Amino acid sequence: MSRISEQSRIDPRLLELLVCPLTKGRLEWDGVRSELVSRSARLAYPVRDGIPVLLPSEARTLEDEG
Amino acid sequence: METAYGFREVESAATKQGLVDGVFHKVASRYDLMNDLMSGGLHRAWKNAMVAWLNPSPKPGWRSLDVAGGTGDIAFRIVDASRGEAHVTVLDINGSMLGVGRERAEKRGLSANVDFVEANAEELPFPDNHFDAYTVAFGIRNVPRIDVALSEAYRVLKPGGRFLCLEFSEVDVAGLDKIYEAWSFNAIPRIGQMVTGDGEPYSYLVESIRKFPNQPRFAEMVKRAGFERVSWRDYSGGIAACHSGWKL
Repeated sequence: MSRISEQSRIDPRLLELLVCPLTKGRLEWDGVRSELVSRSARLAYPVRDGIPVLLPSEARTLEDEG
Repeated sequence: METAYGFREVESAATKQGLVDGVFHKVASRYDLMNDLMSGGLHRAWKNAMVAWLNPSPKPGWRSLDVAGGTGDIAFRIVDASRGEAHVTVLDINGSMLGVGRERAEKRGLSANVDFVEANAEELPFPDNHFDAYTVAFGIRNVPRIDVALSEAYRVLKPGGRFLCLEFSEVDVAGLDKIYEAWSFNAIPRIGQMVTGDGEPYSYLVESIRKFPNQPRFAEMVKRAGFERVSWRDYSGGIAACHSGWKL
């Protein structure tokens, strides 16, 4: 199963709706890593099997990327 | 608020969440079958009654959030009741349950109406004032901080939005309470053992039902979160109850 086909199953309207569960700030979609990025919480939330996982415990902490 | 994992007291909300997650990962694929066996099929009638009370609008653009609804049971009923117009976002903290739900949505051709998000009822990943309705069926009992989940429900609802919560409750019929207690403490874990190969998750379920606040106490909690016109309906003599509130 290719990663591209999995990503395409996510409804773009859903991505627009979602906010960071911690800060309620906006999320940016990173199509390369398949992550939803919260700049305000410095966390990147994964999307697994087409389902966004908005759990801080499952998120990747963002390094200083400038 | 005191946190309880069934009758085994635990120190923190985080610990309770971990235990609850374990229970549902174990039973996800056979969850609905178990519900049928445990309730003698009654859970279907209760869910139908909740959705009938919600009376989803057939207007396009009507949006609902179903919390702890991984397998899609409530979401599909809402879409059907809205004559295919409603859009339901299903939220669950458990990925296994959501996987089951999404497969079912695809089989029923409802993928355009229903989407799935893995998140915590205490930390909803949605903006304020977004949904027309919030439903939770047999899920609020498993949330470590129920008051926090209720505040989040209030936040994401639009003014005029409706809150509905279906949950096991306190039996208020003489005689039925004894029968129900015997059934739930003895039969349910054994059925769970037979069907899923593990009785332990079902012992947890039965114990957590006993710990959950009764109808008037839960109504108070719903009011404290800001909801108005709070009421409830008992189903099957109070084995289950549905609480309703409005964000006005």
